[in-house]
Amino acid sequence: MATDGPQPTDRVSDGALAAADAPSGPPVFAVRNLWKVFGPKATRIPGTELAELSPEALREQTGCTVAVRDVSFDVRPGECFVVMGLSGSGKSTLVRCLTRLIEPTSGAIAIDGEDVRGMDKSALRNLRRHRAAMVFQHFGLLPHRTVLDNVAYGLEIQGVGKAERRARAAEMVEKVGLAGMEGRRPSQLSGGQQQRVGLARALAADPEVLLFDEPFSALDPLIRRDMQEEVVRLNREEGRTMVFITHDLSEALRVGHRIALMRGGRVVQCGTPEEIVGSPADDYVRDFVRDVPREQVLSVRRAMRPLGDAHEAESGPALHPATTVAEAIETVARTGGPARVVEGERCLGVVDFKSLLRVVAGLGTGGRTEEKAAA
Amino acid sequence: MSSTTMTAPARAAVLRHRAVRKLLLLAAVAAVLVPLADARWGSGSWPHALTVSLDGPLKSTSTWIIDNRDSHWLFLYFFGHISGAIITAIHAVYVVLLALGWAGVTAGAALLAWRAAGVRAAVTALLSFAVCGALGMWVPTMRTLALMIVAVAASVAVGALLGLAAGLSDRVFRGLRPVLDTMQALPAFAYLLPVVLVFGIGVAPAVLATVVYAAPPMARLTALGLRGTDPGVLEAVDSLGATARQRLLTARLPLARRELLLGVNQTIMMALSMAVIASVIGADGLGDRVYQALSTVDVGSALAAGIPIVLLAIVFDRTTAGTRQGRTPPRSAWAVLAAATAVVAVAGRLLGSQSWPDGWTVAIAAPVNTAKDWMVDHLYSGLPGIGGTADWAAHYTGWVLDPLRSGLQGLPWWAALLIVAALAWLIGTWRTALTAVLSLALIGVLGRWDASMDTLSQVLAAVAVTLVLGFAVAVAAARSPRVERLLRPVLDVCQTMPQFVYLIPVVALFGVGRAPGAAAAIVYALPAVVRIVSQGLRQVNPGALESARSLGATGGQQLRQVQFPLARPELLLAVNQAVVLVLSVVIIAGLVGGGALGYDVVFGLAQGDLATGLVAGVAIACLGLMLDRVTQPTKGVRDGNA
Amino acid sequence: MATRKIVTAVAALGLLATATGCGAADMTKQGSPYANAAGAKTVTLSVQSWVGARANAAVAQYLLEHELGYRVDTVQVDEVPAWDALSQGRVDAILEDWGHPDQEKRYVDDKRTVAPGGDLGVTGHIGWWVPKYFADAHPDVLDWHNLDKYASQLRTAESGGKGQLLDGSPSYVTNDKALVKNLNLNYQVVFAGSEAAQITQIKQFAKEKRPFLTYWYEPQWLFNEVPMVEVKLPEYTDACAAKGAKDPSTIDCAYPTSQLKKFLNTNFAKKGGKAADFLRKFHWTKADQNEVAQMIAEDKLPADEAAKRWVQRHPDVWRGWLPR
Repeated sequence: MATDGPQPTDRVSDGALAAADAPSGPPVFAVRNLWKVFGPKATRIPGTELAELSPEALREQTGCTVAVRDVSFDVRPGECFVVMGLSGSGKSTLVRCLTRLIEPTSGAIAIDGEDVRGMDKSALRNLRRHRAAMVFQHFGLLPHRTVLDNVAYGLEIQGVGKAERRARAAEMVEKVGLAGMEGRRPSQLSGGQQQRVGLARALAADPEVLLFDEPFSALDPLIRRDMQEEVVRLNREEGRTMVFITHDLSEALRVGHRIALMRGGRVVQCGTPEEIVGSPADDYVRDFVRDVPREQVLSVRRAMRPLGDAHEAESGPALHPATTVAEAIETVARTGGPARVVEGERCLGVVDFKSLLRVVAGLGTGGRTEEKAAA
Repeated sequence: MSSTTMTAPARAAVLRHRAVRKLLLLAAVAAVLVPLADARWGSGSWPHALTVSLDGPLKSTSTWIIDNRDSHWLFLYFFGHISGAIITAIHAVYVVLLALGWAGVTAGAALLAWRAAGVRAAVTALLSFAVCGALGMWVPTMRTLALMIVAVAASVAVGALLGLAAGLSDRVFRGLRPVLDTMQALPAFAYLLPVVLVFGIGVAPAVLATVVYAAPPMARLTALGLRGTDPGVLEAVDSLGATARQRLLTARLPLARRELLLGVNQTIMMALSMAVIASVIGADGLGDRVYQALSTVDVGSALAAGIPIVLLAIVFDRTTAGTRQGRTPPRSAWAVLAAATAVVAVAGRLLGSQSWPDGWTVAIAAPVNTAKDWMVDHLYSGLPGIGGTADWAAHYTGWVLDPLRSGLQGLPWWAALLIVAALAWLIGTWRTALTAVLSLALIGVLGRWDASMDTLSQVLAAVAVTLVLGFAVAVAAARSPRVERLLRPVLDVCQTMPQFVYLIPVVALFGVGRAPGAAAAIVYALPAVVRIVSQGLRQVNPGALESARSLGATGGQQLRQVQFPLARPELLLAVNQAVVLVLSVVIIAGLVGGGALGYDVVFGLAQGDLATGLVAGVAIACLGLMLDRVTQPTKGVRDGNA
Repeated sequence: MATRKIVTAVAALGLLATATGCGAADMTKQGSPYANAAGAKTVTLSVQSWVGARANAAVAQYLLEHELGYRVDTVQVDEVPAWDALSQGRVDAILEDWGHPDQEKRYVDDKRTVAPGGDLGVTGHIGWWVPKYFADAHPDVLDWHNLDKYASQLRTAESGGKGQLLDGSPSYVTNDKALVKNLNLNYQVVFAGSEAAQITQIKQFAKEKRPFLTYWYEPQWLFNEVPMVEVKLPEYTDACAAKGAKDPSTIDCAYPTSQLKKFLNTNFAKKGGKAADFLRKFHWTKADQNEVAQMIAEDKLPADEAAKRWVQRHPDVWRGWLPR
């Protein structure tokens, strides 16, 4: 079930984010039919009928567990690609397979077209040192080193001279807002600060891709919010490509350009936040996104109805199709009448109280949901 | 996985179920084998047909070694270099210590302790060395110090290398771990004979025995430290593209610092205790002074040499234990330290002699002897009502030891094997059971069955007393910090004081025989039991205690229903430690009439009859291994979960 | 990287080779690491666990240090291992040997690493002894035929239902187990495990005025404190000794009386100069030895203090030992 996902044609503008163009170009990471099976003689599982067994039956029969199951996706330059799923869905294994911190069982991974699985030790080391840096849920800081030395650690491993690596580390510490704390040890920092150190360490090597493994799950909600904004800023301002693992849907919606939703090692749906929320691929996804404040994710493109008459095409305020429903409600409420959805010169449709409220109420605009609601 | 979600009663039910299954299986095996064994070999003590006498081969080996020690290449080019290197190293260290003089050594030690562990440790070091001098023990102290420095350096190096290998390779770890576990359960005495066989009597074999005895904790803790590194950190290090060497040097070793230091600390403590025991095979220094003093029953002089040993232990312990805080003094500090030491040393030499000034000594031997005599006089015949030590000893021997011994010796040999198998299997895995049974069987094969049962009876009785006393004291200590504070120095001293010092005086109180050995064993094992148990009780989750209190549980109920069950792992560890420690003293008690295996070892050493001694040593090792496996429950389970 | 490793390995090997002298190392020629450390010539004396031997060593040490300017180390080693140590040169001299024919043959006659050092001047005798207060009350106990009569009085917790025959250090020459068996006595040999334990026990018995039967020997200072009388065993004969030499478990007669002897390491005997000369001439009587032993063991004087007092009192005895 290859899920290349639809092209990100539209860009959702989240209230917290500055609108940006959808990233495009040749993929940074291209993953095809990736499998990771834990257990003895793991290679016999992928692609055979064994893989179709239930996890319990498989474990009983072979002692193996499938963590990642036939996953394919592309990560495009400048994109923040989110992999989301509950614990045990295989998302953390997946991200580790990208730099072979966990050795994949089968499938192909390419970074900038270069085969990662075929790399020898030193090429792989090179990849980890210069091209992809990772930020971890539990920070992974060295407790016996100061903040500065932790940030400089990656450079030290690369063999950068002491003065230079310290200068660059100091710059990174400044950048993540920890100036003045260079001499402290990780144990003297709060969780948020520690993760900033982890981020600075990853940034210090100036990697092409940043990999985040549930980076903010261990943090308090307020700090989490700050850190998410920091990540969004890095992504949007520096255009750094990111792969972001999370189990938190709102976080995924907030930072991601595209989201791959995983369950039981498979990607069940891959698409923009709006696609995930607006057109869930199955009941599992639907269940998952049920409590999302839809008006903040869905755009008026989904809420609009076709033009009723010519009059409607002329009057009322004009909205961009990417405007969120929440913003449209505000406009509609202020003017008292329907609003037009205009792209360039063309009027695509109209939103009014009724169509907007349907979105908020979760009745949807698609025929299927409507029928269900009617029944 | 599933066990974590299981409720406690459910788990207990499964355990009971599993226990029943094990016992049934064992009973089935026994039902087949026992009649066969009984018909073939009878049911008394270990059948003679199944013994193998090693006396002949061992005697000829020992003779061969003595005859070829100065000619065979193995000795000339291998063992000779080992012993030569040790002697050269000790000589060098000793010369340096002598050159520093008493002032230099004292100042150097204090400065070192200060740098490593702070002012308190420095004051401790200063006072301790001063006391060593004041007791007139300066020269022996320096000898022991020189021996210790070399032995500890070698132990740490050997242990760290082994630990490194085991920490990095799973195969090595799996292979090494049972060996280390076993070595840690063996009484120190068992190590003496093999080195004597090869190296004869002297300082070099003493150091070797010490290294063999003291290296395992270092290896073990190094391996555990390296393996216990936070996997998250290691993953992060990997994700940055570190090479294997960078990973080891910049992450694993620094992160294992705590364990490494703990390993050094334990190694030092074990080395010190062995350095004393090794005086039996010619280690010079303080141990020898204790040993010599005891041959004239001069407890005062023995104590005068024993106190410096305790003080050295304290200085070593405080200095290395204090380093656990993550402080890295600048490199220049060491230069300053060395310079200051040199200055003091020169000043000391200019002012006076190298050795401790004669006039500054205090003779404690006479008053101590008087005090001891007074104590013996008053305790021996005893106080009205509770009787004297002589009565206790007689009752302990007659009512506890004798029945136990005749019971064990009268037990059919296959029954003993079955009991051991059942115990070990119930608490551990089939592997531990197999090890235990094979150990016991090997004792029989070596023809030391009766002697081992004698030793075993002494161990069991002393362990029982130790546990009763230890648990009582520990409960008191766990409840009241005051009691704990008062007890701590006493426990420290009991644990580090060489057993030789009190082994002989207890003879005065309890008479020659097995009773004084038991008394000494209890004194020696009690501190560890008290410490482990009270720590276990104190560490019990305060939440659980609070909830018990909120339900209105009395103190006794809290203890029985919350603290003891929750501290179960520590309690079991205490039992295991008690067994191991008691065994080690019961063996040494061969020197005061304990008889059995301990006497055989003493006899072997004294008569140069290595055949007797070695076989007894192997039997002791087997007995230790068997006892350890029978009392070591959680290990297998814990490994399974990890 | 690889070249660096090789260079390191070669360097390490080279270092090892130079450090070890790249040749044979005879451990039997390696002395004590503490010897000659303080810049003086050192003599290492073996001191056995009993006090008589300590008295010898103390006086020899005192005279070597104060009259001849040596440094003296003493090491306590059991008798048989002491022979091995002596042969290896880890100790230079044994001053009191009670007769070890096997060792003598191996080291003196065969290997020639040990040289006889002459008689000590003291005769040693091993036997079974009872306290004087007990012998006075029951004179017939002094004949071994009557020992069984008193077995019940000599019972202890350790001896079970039999009488207790207290034995000492395992390093001592003893035939007691064989004797008890062959003389058909209702006694149990209880090994004290060390002389210290045995002495402590004897003194405790004496304090209580309890009867006891013990393996003991003279010269021994303990007689001054606890007077003991020897029990007569079947007479020592050469035939009995010859029988025992073949199979020790057949011995059924008393212990012999032997001349205590000194032994020196051959090398030391040749090159030990004045010290070796002095130790060869060292020769005193039972009374002399007991005087020093008594001061050490009973008055708890430090050994060197006891030696000093004896030396001050008996210059006529030791003057003759000094090399001219």
